[in-house]
Amino acid sequence: MNAPTGSGKTYALWFPIVLNYIKNHPDYKNKHKKWLKAIWITPLRALSQEIKQSAERIIEDLETQMTVGIRTGDTSTKERAKMRTNMPDLLITTPESLQLLLSSKGYAKTFKDCSAIVVDEWHELLGTKRGVQMELGLSRLKTICKELRIWGISATIGNLEQAREVLLGPTSPELENSVLVKANVNKKITVKSIVPKEMETFPWRGHLGLHLLHQVIPIINNSKTTLLFTNTRSQCEIWFQKILEKYPEFAGEMAMHHGSINKETRLWVEQAIRNESLKAVVCTSSLDLGVDFAPVETVVQIGGPKGVARFLQRAGRSGHRPGKESVIYFLPTHAIELVEASAMQKAVLNSAVEDRIPYLNSFDVLIQYLTTLAVSDGFYPDEIYPEIKQTFCYQAISDEQWQWLLNFLVMGSQSLKSYDEYKKVEVEEDGKFKVNSRAVAMRHRFQMGTIVGDATISVRYQKGGYIGSIEEYFISKLSPGDVFTFAGRNLEFIRIKGMVAHVRNSKKRTNKVPSWMGGRLSFSAKMSELLRQELYTAELEFSKQSEEIQALDPMFTKQREESIVPQPHQFLIESFKTHDGYHHMFYPFEGRAIHEGMSSLLAYRISLLAPITCSLAFNDYGFELLSDREIDIQEILDNNLFTSEYMLSDLQKSLNSNEMARRKFRDIAVISGMVFTGYPEKGVKMKHLQSSSELLFDVFRDFEDDNLLYQQAYTETFEHQLEEGRLRLALERIAQQEIVWKQCSQPTPLSFPIITDRLREKLSNEKLTDRIKRMMAKLTKK
Amino acid sequence: MIEVSIHNQKFQLHPLGGLFWEEKSLLLISDVHLGKVSHFRKFGAAVPRKAIHKNFLLLDKIVSDFQPFQICFLGDLFHSSLNKEWELFENWAGKTPTEILLVAGNHDIIAPEKFEKLKVSIFPELVIDSFLLTHHPEEREGYFTFCGHIHPSVKLRGFGRERIKLPCFFKSKNQMVLPAFGQFTGTYSLDPKDSDEVYAIVEDSIIKV
Repeated sequence: MNAPTGSGKTYALWFPIVLNYIKNHPDYKNKHKKWLKAIWITPLRALSQEIKQSAERIIEDLETQMTVGIRTGDTSTKERAKMRTNMPDLLITTPESLQLLLSSKGYAKTFKDCSAIVVDEWHELLGTKRGVQMELGLSRLKTICKELRIWGISATIGNLEQAREVLLGPTSPELENSVLVKANVNKKITVKSIVPKEMETFPWRGHLGLHLLHQVIPIINNSKTTLLFTNTRSQCEIWFQKILEKYPEFAGEMAMHHGSINKETRLWVEQAIRNESLKAVVCTSSLDLGVDFAPVETVVQIGGPKGVARFLQRAGRSGHRPGKESVIYFLPTHAIELVEASAMQKAVLNSAVEDRIPYLNSFDVLIQYLTTLAVSDGFYPDEIYPEIKQTFCYQAISDEQWQWLLNFLVMGSQSLKSYDEYKKVEVEEDGKFKVNSRAVAMRHRFQMGTIVGDATISVRYQKGGYIGSIEEYFISKLSPGDVFTFAGRNLEFIRIKGMVAHVRNSKKRTNKVPSWMGGRLSFSAKMSELLRQELYTAELEFSKQSEEIQALDPMFTKQREESIVPQPHQFLIESFKTHDGYHHMFYPFEGRAIHEGMSSLLAYRISLLAPITCSLAFNDYGFELLSDREIDIQEILDNNLFTSEYMLSDLQKSLNSNEMARRKFRDIAVISGMVFTGYPEKGVKMKHLQSSSELLFDVFRDFEDDNLLYQQAYTETFEHQLEEGRLRLALERIAQQEIVWKQCSQPTPLSFPIITDRLREKLSNEKLTDRIKRMMAKLTKK
Repeated sequence: MIEVSIHNQKFQLHPLGGLFWEEKSLLLISDVHLGKVSHFRKFGAAVPRKAIHKNFLLLDKIVSDFQPFQICFLGDLFHSSLNKEWELFENWAGKTPTEILLVAGNHDIIAPEKFEKLKVSIFPELVIDSFLLTHHPEEREGYFTFCGHIHPSVKLRGFGRERIKLPCFFKSKNQMVLPAFGQFTGTYSLDPKDSDEVYAIVEDSIIKV
C-alpha cells in the first residue's frame, strides 16, 4: 500500500484484518480464543501507541473481544514474560523485537495462527539492515504461519515496485499473488525559504543556522503549532536552548523531541502536540514518521534535509488533514544552502523522490539470524536454506557461501584445530544447529537489539531518574564537574558507573552539547542534478533568478573576484594556500557520497605520479585535497586522472589506505556478534570480552582477509557508500566538461564550507618512516 | 634499533616492542596478552585464529635477535584464565633455552603453580641494582622503573592536518613504559611533556620523537 501519512492507512489495514477474523469466526462475540492473530511492524517504537489506539477503536466498535499489545525495546521484562503465556491477538512490535520472538523456545507455536503481518513505513526499513532483518523474519513466518497475508505500507519512493519485490521475495508465489494499492492523494505543498535580511553578515559556513533565529519567531507566533526539524540531535539541543535564552516567554510552550530523550518525555511531548498545548517543538527525524499530529500548522526545516522524500514527509507533518495545505519553511544554515533551498522547491514541484537501495548479501545479518534460530529451537540447514534463497537480500547466495557461513557459526573458521576452543553454535547428532550454552544465548539476545552499534551510556540523576542516552565517546571526554547540555537541561557530570553516567542539575552555562555520530547524509542523484541546475542560474539575468539566488548575489560577486561560478559546460578547480597547507578544490556538485569516492580515487591516482600524503574533505558541493606540498593540477589534467577507466580497481587500491571499510566493519562486527558491546543499561561489565572493532579489523586484514564478513565491509563501501555506479556516471559527465582551473590568493566562498570541515579522510602512499621523518623535521623547525 | 643509556647501563630498544639490557643480557617484554584470541573465541567471538601463532613467532624472532640469558615479562603475559593457548606457551617455554621471569600484572590470574612447573618464576616486582621492574607504573626514589600496563602510543601531527598514532616506548625522568608486545592489543595515547622522551615504533625501526 502506497499512501501518505494522515490518509487513514492504519484503519485501512486494521479493518480488513479484524473483518477477516469475524468472517472466519461467526460466533466471535461469545467464543473468543485468545492468541496471536496479526502482527504490525513499525520501525519506530514511538509510533506504537498511536497504532494501538486505532486498533482498539476498531475492535471495540465491532464488539470483538480481541486484545492489542505492544512489544518493543521499551516493554518491561515482566510484561514480556506475561506475553509468553498470554499473547495478545494483535501485536504491535519492531523488527528487532520480532527477531527476539524468534529467539524464544517454541516460537513456531506463537505464530501458528497468525494470519496477517503488516510492515509499516517499509520505505524507512528498505535500504537498511533492519530491512534485511525483516526479510529474514518474513521468510520464516511464511513457513510457520498456516495462512499468512503480508502487507507493506510505503510512502512514495523512486523504486516502489522494487520495494514490493524486496518485501515479498523476488521469486515467491506471494509476489505473484500481490497487488499494489495506491492512494491517489494530491496534497498541496508550499515551500518557503527563509532568506536572510542582511546577506552581508550571513555566514559562508556553519550548520546550526542560529543567525536566522529571530526570523523564525514570527513564524512560530503566527501559527498554532510549529515543528522545527533539525538534522542532528545536538543541533536540536542547541536550538531549543537558544530560543529559550533569547525568547524566555516561550518557556512552558516549547518542547524538544529526539531519539535519545527518555520515553516518558517523548510520549508527553507527542500528547502535548495533540492537545494543542505547545506552540513549538524542536525535533529530529524522531518525529518524521507516523503519528498523526493534526494541530501542526507549520513546519520549519533547519538546514538541508538532504533528500526530497524526507523533506516531503516533513512538510506533510503540517496541515495533516486531507485537503489541507502543507506549509514548510526552509531555513538555510549557511549561504550556499540557499541554492539547496531553491532547488528543493523545484524538487517538490516535480516530486523528484529518491530510490532506497536495498542491501544484498548482508552476511552479518544472516549470521545473526541463524544464531537466533539456533538459540531458540535450533535449525536444520536444509530447511532454512531454501527460505533464505527466496529473500531478495540472499537471492544470489552460493552454496559455497552458505557452507562457509555454517562453518563459521560452528567453528569460528573454516577448519577444525585441536587447540581451538571456539564455542557458539553446536551441531547435534541429527544435524540440528543449536546453541546449548545459556551464556551464549543470553549474550546473543542482548546484542540483537543493537543493529546499529554505538556504545551508549544512559544518563541518570544521582538520586535516580533516567534522562536519556548518549554515545560513550562523548562521555569519555568529560571530567567530573564538567557541565553539558542534554535534554534541554544543564547537567553536571559526576561520575560514570558501569554503563550509567550520573549527573546533577547545574546552573552553570555551558556550550558543551553531546554530538551523535552518523546522520551525515548525502544528496541523491536527482537532488544533485537539481542543485546544479539551480546554481547555473547564477549567471542568468537578475530578474529571472529565484529569490534565493538573488539573495546570494553578494557571495557570487565575491566568488567571481578570483574564480568563477561554474556553468553547465564547466568543471571548476581552485587552488590556494593557507596556514593549513595547500588546498586543491574540486566542484562536481554530485553529493557527499560521490565526492568521498571521487576524492579518494583522485588522490590515489595523483599518488601514482609522486608520493604524497593528503587529507580529504568533502560536502555535497565539492571536495578538497589538502596537502603539505603543492599538487600540480596541470599534471592531473595532462594525465587524464578523471577518467572512468580502471575506476573500480583504482578505487579498491585507494581504499586500502583509507578508513571507509574500517568504519563499515564496525557495524558488521557488532551485528555478526564478533564484538560484544556489553549489556545495555544493565551495567554488567563484560570488559574481558570488549575489543574495538578497529583492532579486530586489523587482525582480519593481517590474518584472514578472505573472511566473508571482512570482505563485506568493502562491498558495502563500494555499493552503499560510494555508489560506484553513480560515481562512474559523474566521471563521464566531467569528461564532457571544460576544466577551469583558478589559482587564488585566498579561500573562495564556495570552498569555505569544505576547507573548514574537520572530519577528514587521510590518504598516503609515502613510506610511513619517510612521513614520520618529514613530520619530525617540521616539528623541530618550529 | 636505538640504544639508550640509563644509570650507566646500556639498553637497546627493539621495534617489536622489547627492551634489551646489555650488561645483564636481560630481555624485557611487556603486555603480550597471550590467550586473548582464544579467550574471545571461547566466548563466541571469531577472532582470526592465525593471530594466535603470530605472538609466538614474534617472541621467537626477538629472542633470536638478542639471545638473552634471561627474559623478564613485565606483566599481563596471559590475558585471562587458562585456555588451550597455555599449551602453546608450554611448548614455547620448553624449547626456548632461556630463563623466564614474570612480574605479575593485573591480567595474570593463572595459578603460580602452573608457571612454576614450567620453571617460570613469578615476582610481584623485581629490583636489580638501581632498577625497579614492575607491571604498573611506579616512581620510587633512587630507582629507575621499567614497566608496562599502559600500552603507550603517541600521536604525531604534521602539516596539512596530518595525524598518525604509533605505539612507543615512553620514557620520563625515572621511568620507561614499554609498549604492548602482543598482537590484538590496543594502545593508549599519551601526551609527552618536554622532559619526556618518546621512542616510536615505525614499522621495523625506532624513531626518537
